[in-house]
Amino acid sequence: MEGFVATVPFTILFLPFFGMVLIALAGPYVPRLGAAIVGNLSVLGSFVLTAVLASYVWSLPPDQQVLTLKYPPAWATHPAYWAHIPPLTISFELRIDPLALMWMLIITGVGFLIHLYSIGYMQESKWYRTFFAYMNLFVFAMLMLVMAGNFLWLLVGWAGVGLASYLLIGFDADRMAAVLAARKALIMNVIGDVGIMVAIFLMYAHFGSLSYKVVFANVTSAGTSALDWIGIWLLVGAVAKSAQLPLHTWLPDAMEGPTPVSALIHAATMVTAGVYLIARAHPIYDHAPAAAMTVAVIGCASAFVAATIGMAQYDIKRVLAYSTMSQIGYMILAVGVGAYAAGTFHFVTHAFFKALLFMAAGIIIHNLGGEQDIRKMGGLAKRMPFAFLTFLIGTLAISGFFPFAGFFSKDAILDELQLLGHPWLWAFGSITALLTAYYMFRLVFMTFFTGAYRGDHEPHADRSPTMEVPVAILAVLATIGGWLVLPGHDEMSRLLQGAFGDRGILPTMGEINWFVTGVTTFSAAAGLVIAWWLYERAPQLRRRLATMFAPVQRVLANAYYIDTIYHWLFEVPTLTAASDIAKYVDPEGVGGVIAGVARTTTGLGDAMRGWETGYLRRYGLGMVVGMVLVLAYYIFVVHGGAAVGMR
Amino acid sequence: MPGVPLADYLAVASALFAVGVIGFLLRRNPITMLMAIELMWNAGNLAFAAFARTFVDFSGQIFVFIVVTVAAAEAAIALAIVVMVFRRRRDVDVDEISELRG
Repeated sequence: MEGFVATVPFTILFLPFFGMVLIALAGPYVPRLGAAIVGNLSVLGSFVLTAVLASYVWSLPPDQQVLTLKYPPAWATHPAYWAHIPPLTISFELRIDPLALMWMLIITGVGFLIHLYSIGYMQESKWYRTFFAYMNLFVFAMLMLVMAGNFLWLLVGWAGVGLASYLLIGFDADRMAAVLAARKALIMNVIGDVGIMVAIFLMYAHFGSLSYKVVFANVTSAGTSALDWIGIWLLVGAVAKSAQLPLHTWLPDAMEGPTPVSALIHAATMVTAGVYLIARAHPIYDHAPAAAMTVAVIGCASAFVAATIGMAQYDIKRVLAYSTMSQIGYMILAVGVGAYAAGTFHFVTHAFFKALLFMAAGIIIHNLGGEQDIRKMGGLAKRMPFAFLTFLIGTLAISGFFPFAGFFSKDAILDELQLLGHPWLWAFGSITALLTAYYMFRLVFMTFFTGAYRGDHEPHADRSPTMEVPVAILAVLATIGGWLVLPGHDEMSRLLQGAFGDRGILPTMGEINWFVTGVTTFSAAAGLVIAWWLYERAPQLRRRLATMFAPVQRVLANAYYIDTIYHWLFEVPTLTAASDIAKYVDPEGVGGVIAGVARTTTGLGDAMRGWETGYLRRYGLGMVVGMVLVLAYYIFVVHGGAAVGMR
Repeated sequence: MPGVPLADYLAVASALFAVGVIGFLLRRNPITMLMAIELMWNAGNLAFAAFARTFVDFSGQIFVFIVVTVAAAEAAIALAIVVMVFRRRRDVDVDEISELRG
């Protein structure tokens, strides 16, 4: 078992990486399907090994479930560290514990299903092989992020997923919108990277190490205010990566990427990295109440704000993007108040139902020839029964209907909020649950019902098994995924015990708080009924309301004009400054200096060209005169004429 | 050591050098100018040797060897250039050879 544990994590981590390298090197020489097979198999291999590793780790007693792998190993006599700048030593360090395993299982498992789906979905893409190389790069970077054993390697993975996200959002490089969205995502994410870097500097200053083990063991040696600052800077990273307020505007735009990318990166895995980071750094947040409260409030505000925006959007993927932001808000809220197990639980179920929703939406978009506007859909339930059924399951799950996955995890979070004494956060969480059910069912009704099909071109319904099998699997998981936590049987807390210790066992999980459960279920049902009433039963009433609340509608449809505000606050000043520099400083200042140097050189050359007469004897005379002058200088000036008797 | 004092050597060396300089500046035949340059070389050599003898330091002697070697190389190259110039122009007046005028 010793050798198994020492090698398997490295294999899990680097399989997708080698898959990427193989596709990149051999891609042009094999058929398109070859690249897809390599991409799929490498991720599948990682998943199988992760499952084996997970079953091994969870067979150990909870206090031994943290495995640390270091390169160079401790017994090395001449260790070659990654960086050795005394007193700081950084090794290549992996940490496998239940928290990391939970993420690894989702990344490789859901990641594999989405790879499988991409085989069919990306069929018409010009850069089919490149797509799989990028996807493998993403899986590798994401695994690096969650398997890292110190904050430096976490940051490596963190920046790596940012890069993969950038490459994949801008995958259709022919379209300007995709390129701009990719750029926006990269810029926002780099703000987060800087936040984590500052947190790393602070951790080095206070703990002298970046290793989780050392930092978390000595966490109480730093003062509360120091921990608060570290927590806040880590939060900057989490907010940027997880698209929370105020750095969320890149996520809706990121929907310009292909749908499998939206499902894998911008729904199931990458955007939950912020949740992972805060859960991972939980010893810090446990001792930093102000930072933890900030986390919770930002999560709650993001959940609520995103849900309100989601109500007024017409692009099917944008609605899903705002719902992602909203659901991640729930997770951030949960880990902010210390309900780490509940937050992780919601991450798992969300990965199932959100990947499902995106992939079902992908089937619709695929069959409508790229149409994403729900105003041009409608009546699709009969034409695409498979997509309808799976999308409905996803919607029931995200809205929190019993017995679908979202019910259990959302309920767990709201239970914790009530139990830990946060009535306001709980209230907003419950209202958000209502809004979620409303906008998701609005989406369902507008897409699949509300009379006849409103699109321009006839939908074709080609069915490909590689696309439908993963969706079906996810539909099953979105249905039963929540059953990890049943009354009296809390599998989630048991699994996470090794990562969070006592904080992992949350008393209410697995118990029924009838009040909270009742409110949650009522909210979901109310959202469903309102959506049904407004879109199916009484469209005139909806139109009347729409004219009555037109200003509100406009604000929501424009996402509170946050993009516009950022445009005037940051973009315009920067661009103005840049163009002014280009107009004045560059030609006059920099250009002036360079032109001046050129003019001086030319002038000197012109002045001196007269000396070059071409007469050898004149040069000789010049040398003689020079020699005489040098001699005279030495004799009369340096030695004061002593040699010729002048002294 | 009885014999010629250093100052006499230096006087001869200076005279040689002056003759070399004047020859170089006044003559227009490159062969003659080369010979004038050789005079200057050897004025330097004489001074080196004289100093070496006076101060009993062999560095000066060795320097003379190097100078002689370099002078030989210089003469070889310079004569080759003169021959080439003569072949092209049938004339070797240095005042006529002024293509490098600025």
